[in-house]
Amino acid sequence: MAGTIVADTIQDGAGNSTAMDNAIYGSAKAWVLFDGTGPTIRSSYNVSSVTRQGTGQFLVTMTNALADKNYVVVGSLVNGTTPTVNGVAFLAGSDYSGATAGSQTTTSFYFGTWAYPTTATNFPYTNVAVFR
Amino acid sequence: MSNVIIYTNSTNGVSVCVPTGELPINEVLAKDAPAGAIIVDDSTLPQGADSVFFDAWKLNGSTVTVDFPTAQAHKLRDFNAAAVQVAQARQLNTLAGIANAKSDADFASELATSRESIASATTTAQLVAIANPV
Repeated sequence: MAGTIVADTIQDGAGNSTAMDNAIYGSAKAWVLFDGTGPTIRSSYNVSSVTRQGTGQFLVTMTNALADKNYVVVGSLVNGTTPTVNGVAFLAGSDYSGATAGSQTTTSFYFGTWAYPTTATNFPYTNVAVFR
Repeated sequence: MSNVIIYTNSTNGVSVCVPTGELPINEVLAKDAPAGAIIVDDSTLPQGADSVFFDAWKLNGSTVTVDFPTAQAHKLRDFNAAAVQVAQARQLNTLAGIANAKSDADFASELATSRESIASATTTAQLVAIANPV
């Protein structure tokens, strides 16, 4: 059965409450955890596929389109259980070459993953989330 | 073993599209991949050391092969960039020692700026430009 609950705030049994805006705008609209060396998907929400375009170059496509392309992409990288690089970079909105900067759409976005300072790298733990 | 979608991308490499499982792979093929993309078992893709060279993968029909000259060129490019960076840094360190010995603060500052430029360079072309200022 479909239905709609209209409320300005939500509250738990202990009396902690928050504005509904926090639930609507503060929750991730899509996320995916994957092994960039495969790539192999670990888990996801509202992501239909991850495409490796080249070393450290990825395209994420969402299952359901967002209302517009004004969304935030955040990510984290881990190079295995024992970090072996002294720095990593996650560049949302662009692949490694930067050729696709600004190509974010309502259904997909590119990002690049680097090891410091210049090497495009696939990381075993690549985690990405979208907020809007 | 699982199925993935592959296609030749705009740089003539091979893109590997991995469905998350939220949609059937045929729907992902239609929605997320360009025309001409095909579904293959991922066990048919280059394995082991060959998989590392995926920037040199080539799609021939439904078979992915590794173009080793391209793979070697990419490795050489990365090595070349790193070697230039190390050489430039060593030269600057030597000059910095001379500047400090002569108490030349301006020159030492200039060297420090150059060192930061080298450290932040991300391409061989940028390194060459730093080494050969206009």
